[in-house]
Amino acid sequence: MVAIPYLDDNPCRPRHFKPPPCVAIISEGPAMQALEACRSRLLVTAALFALVFAVVGLRVAEIALFEGGAAQSHVGRLRVVSAPVPSHADITDRNGNVVATTLDSPSLYAVPKQILDPVEATSKIVRVFPKLSSAEIYAKLTSGKSFVWIKRHLTPREQYDVNQLGIPGLEFEHEERRIYPGGGLTSHVVGYAGIDNTGFAGVERALDDVLKERREPLPLSLDLRLQYILREELQRVIDDFTAKGGAGLVMDVNTGEILAMASLPDFDPNHPATPDPNHPALSLADRMFNRNTLGVYELGSIFKIFTVAMALDAGTSTLTSTYDASHPIAIGRFTISDYHGKHRVLNVPEILMYSSNIGAARMAMAAGAQKQREFLARLGLLRKPKIEISEVGAPHYPAKWREVNVMTIAFGHGISVTPLSFATAAAALVNGGVLRQATLVKLPPGNAPQGQQVISAKTSDQMRRLMRLVVEHGTGTMAAAPGYVVGGKTGTADKVTGRHYADRKLLSSFIGFFPINAPKYLVLAMVDEPHPNKQSHGYATAGWTVAPATSRIVQRIAPVLGVQPVDESSPEVQRALIVESLQGKRLEAY
Amino acid sequence: MIKLSTMFWLVLVLVTGFGMFGVKYAVQSLEDDLNRIKKATIAEEHAIRTDEAEWAYLTRPETLDEMNRHYLSLGPIATKQLRVTVVDIPLRPQPPVVADASPADAPALESGVAPIAAANPGAEAAAAAPGGQTAASAPEAPVVAAASEKLAHPTELAKPTPTKTAGKPVVVPRRPTSLDELIAQVAGSR
Repeated sequence: MVAIPYLDDNPCRPRHFKPPPCVAIISEGPAMQALEACRSRLLVTAALFALVFAVVGLRVAEIALFEGGAAQSHVGRLRVVSAPVPSHADITDRNGNVVATTLDSPSLYAVPKQILDPVEATSKIVRVFPKLSSAEIYAKLTSGKSFVWIKRHLTPREQYDVNQLGIPGLEFEHEERRIYPGGGLTSHVVGYAGIDNTGFAGVERALDDVLKERREPLPLSLDLRLQYILREELQRVIDDFTAKGGAGLVMDVNTGEILAMASLPDFDPNHPATPDPNHPALSLADRMFNRNTLGVYELGSIFKIFTVAMALDAGTSTLTSTYDASHPIAIGRFTISDYHGKHRVLNVPEILMYSSNIGAARMAMAAGAQKQREFLARLGLLRKPKIEISEVGAPHYPAKWREVNVMTIAFGHGISVTPLSFATAAAALVNGGVLRQATLVKLPPGNAPQGQQVISAKTSDQMRRLMRLVVEHGTGTMAAAPGYVVGGKTGTADKVTGRHYADRKLLSSFIGFFPINAPKYLVLAMVDEPHPNKQSHGYATAGWTVAPATSRIVQRIAPVLGVQPVDESSPEVQRALIVESLQGKRLEAY
Repeated sequence: MIKLSTMFWLVLVLVTGFGMFGVKYAVQSLEDDLNRIKKATIAEEHAIRTDEAEWAYLTRPETLDEMNRHYLSLGPIATKQLRVTVVDIPLRPQPPVVADASPADAPALESGVAPIAAANPGAEAAAAAPGGQTAASAPEAPVVAAASEKLAHPTELAKPTPTKTAGKPVVVPRRPTSLDELIAQVAGSR
């Protein structure tokens, strides 16, 4: 040990202080080597630490001085994002126009604990939602709870505005809402959904499961343009004749697709329970009632087309058969008489043209109860219609098919069916005799269902000619739409009230086909309890109410459907529609 | 003295360590990008859904009808407006062809009109020449550069009566069956 002399040289050194050795006291030997190694290791470690701190310091300086806001927080970076799939698929019309869709409709809630300034937050929230009361919001925000709803189902704009407020503590809960952009236009067909998007009516209800599973939109067979025209014209008839309601449909007779279907009065599926601003007196039940599929009606004379088709198809009548319609038929407590009486012997085309109840009754009697019942069953008129709507009405018909029933059913009384069933069956009479189930879902083009042959093609051809006659010379002249060769049949039925027929309460309907020489489309229009007006000269019968409406509908929808007008007097059209048995006969003006 | 093997392992650890972290951060950053894109896509999808609903709302037939009444006042198409088809629209009159005494069997080739002597006047369409422009005329009167004659309305010519065509030989361009064909004909006739 060698004392280091210079330390002791300090004169101010306290006497009791003995400085530690600063320099290695050991200067040689293995101990000295160990000490050296130790020192160098310390040095390396210190250098490493210095380096790391320098890196951290530099990074801090870089972020603070140069990157500024560009530095991103990586908090929550590994959250997996998955697309929220709407609970129900969209519904569109046949051209892809959205009829029903599911939109994100976030609901706003607050976490009061996180709200820093409830007063300011309240005033800001009320500015976005002027309808909310500020006292209520303030009470909610100061409640100290950890969750309070502020508002359910925000619009996208409201959500944007709330985000712009930038108040911490306001959060959104993802919710969905079914929206019907068309409003009441398709109300009865599409139906509506409740707050959790479960279908409550119409297609929404009947195809709820399908819509839940589907990803792509479901195309309906409806065409919104036709739907609008049909609804507007029906509304016009109802207004003109101060009727209670109306219904109508447009169908493709060769595929069974329903292109338009309207029942009035209707409702707005976006808020079904809200009263109609134009008709506040209408009850909710009345507006929800689908007259096309749920309502069953004694349709009256338009049923005669089935009587004639049945008799012709079964061979019990031919176009030249004649029936005595000179006197009313008295059976039981009924008397069957003619509204447009001719009081003479009529042949089959005349019975349909002049809508003779007596003639139709005699025709049906000639065929018999068995054949009539079997025929109506074959056309599907004795069972519930099948369609993609859950509101369907079962037909009413006599359990025992007696003679009087045969007679009344021949002209459409004593049997009640839905207009939908009627239209489906009527389409089969003109399209070559093939019954196809009506559908509300668009079929792929050229993919019409097979169908079922219910009458012969020859009878179908005869029916086309006869129905053209009704529009040309019979009760339905006002349904004519020049160029579109309309054929059809009118029907004016007395409504049943209680156990009796009400005299002044009518149900006027018209079934029309165009172009009848090669039928493509069917138009059915029905109006409930029309009242005569000045223009109709005191009539509220089908020929004066729905027949002109059908003419207007046909003229408006035919261009939309791409039906080319033809010259009705051209030989081809005439040849397709001529009724030989009437050739040379002078037709009485109806 | 650090052994060579220690050095080797040290370097290896460093390299793999840095490599691993490098890959990890690269993956994280890619995942971030992916999530960001996914979020943006979802937001975009929502926006599209909303826009589609809005479009459907704004193009309701009701609204269009109202706007039409307000701005355009268009009425429903009347049937008589549809009676005439593209086929019925008359063609531009043929330019006069100089009757330069060309022989009857090759008369009007310069004007692009091929002579077709249709035996049956009703079958001009069947007698179509590949040249696009054909002429139908009565057999007893072959076309001799008679194109200068003013063209009658094609609908009239569509159902010619033998007497009519026999009386006046007229160059009838083949009836076009489509709009495209019509345009091609009109362009070809210039």
